[in-house]
Amino acid sequence: MPPVDSEIPVLPCPRGVECRGSQAVDTPSPLSDHELMLAVRDGDLDGMGELFERHHGPLFGYLSKLTGNRVAAEDISQIVFQRMLKYRHTYRDEGKFTAWMYHLARRCAADHFRKASSAPLSVDPSDLEDQADESRSADQSAVLRDDHRILQKALGRLDREDREVLLLSRLQELSFAEVASVLECSVGAARVRAHRALKSLRGHYFNIQKENPT
Amino acid sequence: MNCQACSERMAELSDERLDEKTAALVRGHLETCADCRRLLGEVRETLASLDALPSAPPSHRLRAKVMGLIESEKLTLKDEAAWAASLRAAAGPRRARGFPWARLLTGTLGMCTLLALGFVLGERTATQRQLADLRVRVDTMGQLVEQSVLQKRTTGDRLETVLTAARSSKPDERIIDGLINSLAFDPSINVRLNALSALYGHAEQEVVRAGVLACLPRESNPLVQISMIDFLVAAKAREASPELRKLSLDPKSDTDVRDSARRAIDLL
Repeated sequence: MPPVDSEIPVLPCPRGVECRGSQAVDTPSPLSDHELMLAVRDGDLDGMGELFERHHGPLFGYLSKLTGNRVAAEDISQIVFQRMLKYRHTYRDEGKFTAWMYHLARRCAADHFRKASSAPLSVDPSDLEDQADESRSADQSAVLRDDHRILQKALGRLDREDREVLLLSRLQELSFAEVASVLECSVGAARVRAHRALKSLRGHYFNIQKENPT
Repeated sequence: MNCQACSERMAELSDERLDEKTAALVRGHLETCADCRRLLGEVRETLASLDALPSAPPSHRLRAKVMGLIESEKLTLKDEAAWAASLRAAAGPRRARGFPWARLLTGTLGMCTLLALGFVLGERTATQRQLADLRVRVDTMGQLVEQSVLQKRTTGDRLETVLTAARSSKPDERIIDGLINSLAFDPSINVRLNALSALYGHAEQEVVRAGVLACLPRESNPLVQISMIDFLVAAKAREASPELRKLSLDPKSDTDVRDSARRAIDLL
């Protein structure tokens, strides 16, 4: 996985501009997430629509894996964008948009868990089946689905904090400095937690394999 | 580097996210430690599985809901701005009233002041800088007051802004608008009361009296209602009588509010 600076993404299509294929030379460079959020903070709420387009997919993916529940993930995603609108004035000049968004997402997810006051369930396997790659053979796809299901189950068995740090550092591609800012801990602590979580995930993965031999 | 430090950096090593110096240290340790080499293989395998984990997209409902939220927020912003503008329009132009001779006198005085100011500013003394500084401060204050209401800061922040605005010796239109907005829209009773208190100093302005009067039917808290009635009496706002009469007869109003309204009608 290559290092990604998600703060300055290359937007496929800047506001209202059709730009499939190679971009024209005079196409204005798209605003960064940070610039868009500063504009939103200053009252240009159209920028929030664009931030939604850029980030709702990864955000939903994160919440979906964190909660193990698609419906809850969708509800929480909505609340996150609602709070971004409501608390837009708290966004700082020197802020990092993705870190701020996941910080809010984490809080919203914590509220969800508090209300639900029960351990999250693992994702419905049918969700994963929807993702089957049609270019593979049926056998290969079945093996892969099985592997994904086990991994998803293993993720579900992790402590919420371990799952959080893994999802943020791995699937959302945040740097450990950003993860630390989201989790409100030191960079070193975030790194240690991620490593432990990965170790724990591996342990759960093999245990589940043993429990369900094919 | 020991095994613990090495293992904690394996994920970053795999992603080539380590700086060169640290990467060299980790690689150096890996060359000498078979356990860590084995662990690195496992970490890479687990990371690859995690990266391959599919993620289904959300339903279209999410987009519809969030776009609805954005549009609704835009409307709220427009409504609040339009409400403040309508208050100002209702109060009419501020400087168009008064006697013609008073306007002439004001004009002459203004010219003299400008002339005097020209002499002072012409020397490019510290006064020039102070005036510019004062202008910036007043402008910033106006923005702060407006934004504190429109952008919904914390109650403490909003209260502080209102109190600072109250201390401002030369408030401009934006500050007055901001205070009226606070009185009309702020969810905190404390902020509304302090905004009203800050407006006392400007009760001679029609826009302020019109603003407080327009806020009165919107207000639901008896304490703030009574304070508003007191304000209108103090400002000798005779135009408030019909609204006060309505309030005094409203059975849904608090008894104290009705009594206050009745007393105010007598006084006005």
